[in-house]
Amino acid sequence: MRHRLLTVLAIGASALSLAACGNSKSRNEGPAGVGGLPGPVSGQKSGGTLKVLSNEGFEHLDPGSSYFQLDYEVVYATQRPLYSFKPEVPQRTAPDLAAAPATISKDQKTVTVKIRSGVKYSPPVNREVTSADVKYAIERAFTPAVANGYAASYFTALEGVDAAAKGKPISGIETPDAHTIVFKLTKPFAATFVNALSLPITVPVPKEYAAKFDKKAPSGYDSKPTQQAFTGPYVIKDYQPGKHLVLARNPSWDAKTAGDYRPAYVDRVDWTIGADPNVAGRQILTGQGLVSGDTPPAPIVTRAVQTAKGQISFTPLGNRYIAMNTQLPPFDNVNLRKAVLASFDRKALQLTRGGVSAGDIASHFLPPTAPGYAEAGGAQGPGFDFLKNPSGDPALAASYMKKAGYPSGKYTGKEKVVMIGDNNDPAAKTAQVALEQFRKLGFDVAFRSVQHETMYSKFCNVPKAKVQVCPNVGWLPDFSDGYAYLYAPFNSKAIVPENNSNWPQLKDPQVDAAMERASNTADPAARAKAWGQVDRLVTGAAPAVPWFWDRQPNIQSKNVQPVIAQWNAAFDLAFTSIK
Amino acid sequence: MGRYIIRRLLWVVVLLLVVSATTFLVFYALPSADPAVLRAGKQPDPGLVRSIRHTLGLDQPIYVQFYRYMERLIVHGDFGYSYTNDADVRTQILDRLPATISLTVGAVILWLAIGLPVGIVSAVRRRKPIDRISMGAALVAISAPVYWLGLVSLYLFSKDIGKVHLFPGANTYQPISKDAGAWLGSLIMPWGVLAASFAAFYARLLRGNLIEVMSEDYIRTARAKGLAERTVILRHGVRAAITPIVTVLGLDIGILLGGAILTESVFNVPGIGRLAYDAIQRSDLPMIQGTVLFGALFIVLANLVVDIAYAFLDPRVRYG
Amino acid sequence: MTALLEVSDLRVQFATDDGVVRAVDGVSYSVHAGRTLGIVGESGSGKSVGALTVMGLTRAENTTVTGSVMFGGEDLLALPDARLRAIRGNEIAMIFQDPLSSLHPYYRVGDQLVEAVRTHRDATRPAARERAVELLDLVGIPDAHRRAREYPHEFSGGMRQRAMIAMALANDPKLLIADEPTTALDVTVQAQILDLLERLQRELGMAIVIITHDLGVVAEVADDIAVMYAGRIVERAPAATLFDAPRHPYTWGLLGSIPRMDANRGAPLAPIAGRPPSLISRPSGCAFHPRCPYVQDSHTRVDPLLEPVAGEPGHDVACLLDDSRRRALWAELDAVRGGAAA
Repeated sequence: MRHRLLTVLAIGASALSLAACGNSKSRNEGPAGVGGLPGPVSGQKSGGTLKVLSNEGFEHLDPGSSYFQLDYEVVYATQRPLYSFKPEVPQRTAPDLAAAPATISKDQKTVTVKIRSGVKYSPPVNREVTSADVKYAIERAFTPAVANGYAASYFTALEGVDAAAKGKPISGIETPDAHTIVFKLTKPFAATFVNALSLPITVPVPKEYAAKFDKKAPSGYDSKPTQQAFTGPYVIKDYQPGKHLVLARNPSWDAKTAGDYRPAYVDRVDWTIGADPNVAGRQILTGQGLVSGDTPPAPIVTRAVQTAKGQISFTPLGNRYIAMNTQLPPFDNVNLRKAVLASFDRKALQLTRGGVSAGDIASHFLPPTAPGYAEAGGAQGPGFDFLKNPSGDPALAASYMKKAGYPSGKYTGKEKVVMIGDNNDPAAKTAQVALEQFRKLGFDVAFRSVQHETMYSKFCNVPKAKVQVCPNVGWLPDFSDGYAYLYAPFNSKAIVPENNSNWPQLKDPQVDAAMERASNTADPAARAKAWGQVDRLVTGAAPAVPWFWDRQPNIQSKNVQPVIAQWNAAFDLAFTSIK
Repeated sequence: MGRYIIRRLLWVVVLLLVVSATTFLVFYALPSADPAVLRAGKQPDPGLVRSIRHTLGLDQPIYVQFYRYMERLIVHGDFGYSYTNDADVRTQILDRLPATISLTVGAVILWLAIGLPVGIVSAVRRRKPIDRISMGAALVAISAPVYWLGLVSLYLFSKDIGKVHLFPGANTYQPISKDAGAWLGSLIMPWGVLAASFAAFYARLLRGNLIEVMSEDYIRTARAKGLAERTVILRHGVRAAITPIVTVLGLDIGILLGGAILTESVFNVPGIGRLAYDAIQRSDLPMIQGTVLFGALFIVLANLVVDIAYAFLDPRVRYG
Repeated sequence: MTALLEVSDLRVQFATDDGVVRAVDGVSYSVHAGRTLGIVGESGSGKSVGALTVMGLTRAENTTVTGSVMFGGEDLLALPDARLRAIRGNEIAMIFQDPLSSLHPYYRVGDQLVEAVRTHRDATRPAARERAVELLDLVGIPDAHRRAREYPHEFSGGMRQRAMIAMALANDPKLLIADEPTTALDVTVQAQILDLLERLQRELGMAIVIITHDLGVVAEVADDIAVMYAGRIVERAPAATLFDAPRHPYTWGLLGSIPRMDANRGAPLAPIAGRPPSLISRPSGCAFHPRCPYVQDSHTRVDPLLEPVAGEPGHDVACLLDDSRRRALWAELDAVRGGAAA
């Protein structure tokens, strides 16, 4: 999801330059005149067809393997995981298939979830959902037929999880009755685990029906998504890969008996894939009943901001930073890293992505919609002097350089710095600006720019490649939680030989310990505070230059009442309605 | 002739083998992302990556992978499975083929219907205003990027975002089997846009050929026979001038059947071109292989048809 | 007896980027039914252009044609295109130098003949086909039925020219214009084609204008010969007279016998030195003067007229040299030539 999405952003936000004065104090605000994020309003009407236009297609519509923004738009309208995020509340999960918040044992190793009664599958299954269906859903996710991309990150703490890869039940998932499911963990991880239960891996799958699909790899549940047993307000009625998808009402669903918070206003969703972004953008802005399924291109965003302010919104999403390898000289020196942070002109970096409308200058890592953002200091940040001036502070940089052992105030060491960037605009421009700033500080930089995917898979994701600077990395969380934002990118235990995401290879015991505490904090408010504290510590360790909090633009036709799922930065199809 | 065709068909097979081996090698050797890791996601369990690798057959040596691929292809006509699309490659290609054929055939008819008469008139009225105007227009049509032309025509003539609401716009394609009227309507502009540069090119080509042919001795003979000028031009001049164009036409059709990426993209006609483009964007090796092979097959077959057609068109050509 | 074709003061000018080309510059001749006129000259002398103009094949925007071409009581130059086309390929037919390039490569020989027949006659296709085979047979193509179905590239050079002749004869023309009909052929085939033309003329009674750069060709077939130079006729005579007693130094040159200006009188004979003049800027005076070994000052100023040779009816010449001097020179040349030949 991370890679895909940042590619989309890279295309979407290119060369967008608007003369808008952003006020970075108020969160979630895009360019001047564009209102706050559209959430549910009173008096939304039922009925009608919502048409979605997107350039990209879906990757996986099987809830067990879906792991991409577009997939989520459909999956969360057609299926019900145990927990999910209400569109306007990205800070905490809401019970969905679950009847109430999970209960966590004192030792943080047992999680008990009650499942709602009255939730029925769509035809042909038609029966009530039971706890065994959730158990099967998680078990199948570990098989090669489903090959879930995040199960290893959040569900390997389950007892007896190794059996799942061989198609055997996981002993750590118990179903004492049809409406209770108990998760037994090998380590105290429950507080984070309950947040991960918002991932679509917990969408119930009826084993007696799905087993025949799961015999094949990849599962037929994915390749023939119309045949899934749906639990959400909509069913996938028609799907032609790369062309078209139709959602229709689920005959087995009604909000009251199902206890579903989704209003499901529209009768039908008609999704066209493969639309040219420029053409689709114009069609949406001038047409009726249309919304964008993926990021509109810069000219369309400009047009909307200038002529149709009510038809565009900007949703914060993910962060971008310039990672320095803390395990290799010269960046193993924390003062040297602080000197880099102090010197960096983050305004110049922001301009490379199109300025204020594309996103805000970051002062730490948790972005505005993340739980813990405010606790980490909000827009102002934790208050470190080396991140105080967004345009850079050469004098301060020089003083940190001196502390790092370079009395001239410039880097005078022998080490050559290897930097690997993305060769696609606008990332290439960002890399160029970063390169200049490193050189200005006296670094001898060997710079190489490669394809986006190659940059990750062959260089930045591989510690053995010994890359010292990755100027084009960024992170999107799997779900809206501090752990999902900060663990993989900055925890020493997250460092892996392949597909590593701790790009700075930060090994900071203080950070690790704070993460441990935060992970085990269950209460949402306390948890946000704890992760905010982690963010402060990470930022203070200066492993990377945080410089950008992206904002994803979304556009809709005039007669559409838009509702953005803030956790996904895309339209919530079960909330958006026709006026 | 029969033996010639058989020999050429054998060549087709060899060529396709070479093409598939080349694409296989290129995408194996290029530093693109490892499909197994891509599929595994972040923080992957090494066991999961291993098992995906095994499922995809990526743990085998390259020659085994290639052999397996070719075996499935030749024995079962199986082009493999696209993991990013979660669909059978052959099914996908065959599913996209009608749109590509619709687009190509319509555009070919259109560009011949426009390009050939314009070429003839320009050649006959050489250096007259009508020649200057049509050749000027042709130059514009040839130089105009297809993508741009597509956008402009949509912004001008489409029913939804156009200035004049004439034709159905982008994202309206329907298969002919489902709704022939919608099919026709949705393809009018794509045909026009795709045909524009080809019509211009063919007009220029025919004009040039015809001007050359009209100074041939046999044209003088035809005139000396007392034939009407119209007959001289059409029956004697055009007949000779058009023969080389058949070669170009055959190849153009072959290439377009392999996918007209830009036109398909702007108007969202779900053809093979877009399928190939998306596959490349996503490092979807089986789909890349499949579309490249299909494209190569069309081009090679088009070449063969052109060569055979040439033997009928030009009696001086004989294959043994 | 009135002439079949009467060309009077024909002038053809092409406007080109380099200037006006006076390809034909005041040519008059007549051809009688059943007779053969040979028009001889180097390439660029205007002989082919003149013939094509008779057929109306030089009509174009940049071409100016004046004079008259009377044929069957009509001035061909004044006829509208449609009327002229009815005569072309019908009453007047033409054959060309290179029979391979003159036949359409993509159509069967028989079909090209059928087209020629059907252009001017209301013949059914089978009837026209029969006529085509008959014509091929007439021009001496063996197995005509089969050959009619072949393409030009399957014919030999001589056969192609026979086919061209057959095509020209499709509508029993009164006049056949043959433009360098043998130039592209090898010597034995040349003779066969000339024999064929003679035979056809005897059998069909048509008039022939044969255009060539080779006096040897017309020697065999022509009754009268006109020698052209720089767009004009410089000498005209019955064939026998022209060969026995040519009166123009250029004709002598064509006969392959003109002495070099710097050589001794007794030296071997050589072809005409120098190159044909530009038709855009004709040399002043006698157009031949730059190449004439006998040139005198006055010749560069005075333009000679085509005038009858005294005592030789039908023999005209355009030369400024004194008649007696020319007789003397020719006698000398002829002797050397005879001697050389011996």
